[in-house]
Amino acid sequence: MTRQAFSPRLRPGSTLWLLTHELRLTWRGVLARRRGGARGQWIVLLALSAVAAFAGVPLGLMLRRLEIPVTPLSVIIADVVLAVVFTLMLSQTVAAATEALYQRGDLDLLFSSPLPPRRALTVRFAALATNVFATFAVLISPFLAPIAVIGHPAWLSAYLVLAALALFASGCGLALAMGLFALIGPRRTRAVAQVVGALIGAGFFLASQARNILGGAKSSSLWMEVVRFAGHPGFTLPPAAAWPLRALTGDPLPLATLALGGLVAFLGAITWLSRRFSADAAAASGADTAPAPGRARTARFAAGAFAATLRKELRLLWRDAALISQVLLRVLYLAPLGFLLIRNAGAHLSLALPGGAAGLVLFAGQVAGSLAWITVSAEDAPELLACAPTPAATFRQAKLAAAFLPLAVLLTPILAMLTVLAPGVGLAAAAGCAAVSLATGLVNIWYQKPSKRADFRRRRGSSWFATLVEVILGLLIAAATGLAAAGQIWAAIPAILAGLMMLALRRSDAQIARALRTFD
Amino acid sequence: MTDALVLRGLSKTFRAPAVRDLDLTVRSGELYALLGPNGAGKTTTLRMVAGLLRPDAGTISVFGIDALADPLAAKRLIAWAPDEPMLYDRLSPMEYLEFVAGLWEVAPDVARPRAEELLKTLGLWDERDRRCEGFSRGMKQKAALAGALIHDPRLLILDEPLTGLDAAVARQVKDLLQARVRAGSTVILTTHILEVAERMADRIGIIQAGELKAQGTLSELRDRTGEAGASLEDLFLELTGERDGEVP
Repeated sequence: MTRQAFSPRLRPGSTLWLLTHELRLTWRGVLARRRGGARGQWIVLLALSAVAAFAGVPLGLMLRRLEIPVTPLSVIIADVVLAVVFTLMLSQTVAAATEALYQRGDLDLLFSSPLPPRRALTVRFAALATNVFATFAVLISPFLAPIAVIGHPAWLSAYLVLAALALFASGCGLALAMGLFALIGPRRTRAVAQVVGALIGAGFFLASQARNILGGAKSSSLWMEVVRFAGHPGFTLPPAAAWPLRALTGDPLPLATLALGGLVAFLGAITWLSRRFSADAAAASGADTAPAPGRARTARFAAGAFAATLRKELRLLWRDAALISQVLLRVLYLAPLGFLLIRNAGAHLSLALPGGAAGLVLFAGQVAGSLAWITVSAEDAPELLACAPTPAATFRQAKLAAAFLPLAVLLTPILAMLTVLAPGVGLAAAAGCAAVSLATGLVNIWYQKPSKRADFRRRRGSSWFATLVEVILGLLIAAATGLAAAGQIWAAIPAILAGLMMLALRRSDAQIARALRTFD
Repeated sequence: MTDALVLRGLSKTFRAPAVRDLDLTVRSGELYALLGPNGAGKTTTLRMVAGLLRPDAGTISVFGIDALADPLAAKRLIAWAPDEPMLYDRLSPMEYLEFVAGLWEVAPDVARPRAEELLKTLGLWDERDRRCEGFSRGMKQKAALAGALIHDPRLLILDEPLTGLDAAVARQVKDLLQARVRAGSTVILTTHILEVAERMADRIGIIQAGELKAQGTLSELRDRTGEAGASLEDLFLELTGERDGEVP
């Protein structure tokens, strides 16, 4: 007997029925992305259980008798934490809402069915909210569940608060995506939404690093400011500011208000925008593929396979909104480090510099790894390259060059300023960045795994070995750079270890071809 | 004149034999249709010729060049166009042609006007700067065909080039292929549309279970089966023994 495809208890076509379908597809997508099948799921479950047992339970015992006081400081902390969670959720939902416009998937099928479009959209975004909620719920559960069981069952209301935030973020994400669509048109919305999502996600981090960016004289750290303000005797907050904290600790009225607020915002956005969404989705079809008006393109052809491949890879990198947003996110996280490094170099604070130089190398390794994966493994037309009369080495060189060029553009100003202000540190950082880029690039060539560009965000799951090697190499070269910048002879040890590791991992052309099962 | 393609004893086995001891000759300047039922080994054969698969045994000679000993020299003369277009969604047709021309080392001052001509001939000129991701199947197929022709190949190999094309686009592609043959190129194509092979091909090869069942002009195939005036479809069904499956 075949398994029943649809639940017999739910009326076909109803919102719940459709939501079940969406969630099943989402779950299967999660399983498909996880390599290792059932064993991988058990490993994740075991890891979460271990965290719960060894960190959650002790924390629960510690907090057993703690009653959180509603003071200005605790209120501000709760508000800030929820605001951070909300911005992280919003950065996900705005990108997902935009992608839904362009890669509609089965929305065409749903919109062409007799179901009301609003229902289809409600379900699609409810599934998105569920996804976002589940991500955060999994992260907090190893801590929250033991705490709730041991002494604070009322704190389970944090899940409801998370759900309300996820609903609110989904509604806002949809509204933001549609707003961008109306404001800048279908051709640019996709890329801009990815960047906006990255900016929103990094917003709180940047705010917290204001001191590093602006300099000590102009700002103090966010945390110190908060403590100072909250401790001031005359400082009071409006009562509503305490509602998030009270909702988190299970106070029924604020909890119900927050949950209702999230639901109303979600349903309001859907109701308000559902008709518009259908129209925009139709307008988005192919619109972002049109050329920018008034621009002459491809005036001169590139000469030779290297130049043509390099140009093609750079074009594809530049047009990859997901990649740009991720690199931008890393640049945003790097910005405070860069400012700190240059300011310390200018002030001749030599002891603070080696760590910064090592951080710069870690950043370079991460970005080089991402770009090299895109250019080497995510080749859209491998057969075209395979049947071209071009040696494989030419492609590899061009692809690595394409991966390194954007990184060089990003790092050159920082490294140049650093070299002017502290020549030894600058040169060590430049050598470290070059070495780590080359090392991760070569690892991506030796252990390439043909994938789709769309898998970029999940690339780490596709080749855990290459990922692990990249991380270890990054750490070794960063350590060597930091020690060299500090003038330590011990820098030779991690540098030699990294070199030996590269020698041990090296693969010949024939070995790469065998691994890829291609005709070398 | 040197033959365009000579296969001798070509064999390839995956889990089961896909191509078995295949001997096949395609003359220079002819349009050769390789026919066969699904899974007969047509695509595997052509992928070996294009340098995408290494045969287990046998030889491949492309205009006298040993394609296994010197694959790059052979690839310079060949263009391979599979049924799924080898395109980049985020490149425009013009950018794609620039890339392919670079791979085959066509000088930019030659490639650029040739790209213009191809895009105009195939009706893609107005779409030259639009990214391929918004293209229909037919437009993608035409862009890929332009890519296959940008380096003016002496041997053009096409796997199911007319699948999924509307009548107008199919006509454009057929006209272009015949023009290439008139200009001296050799074309090998596979197709399930037997009328196309019947009308266009100079010679036809019928392959089944990895073995060449018959080869020759339409009249030679008719002589072989003794069915004067038979259509290619009748001959194909007769030679492959698939007539038994016909509805009475």
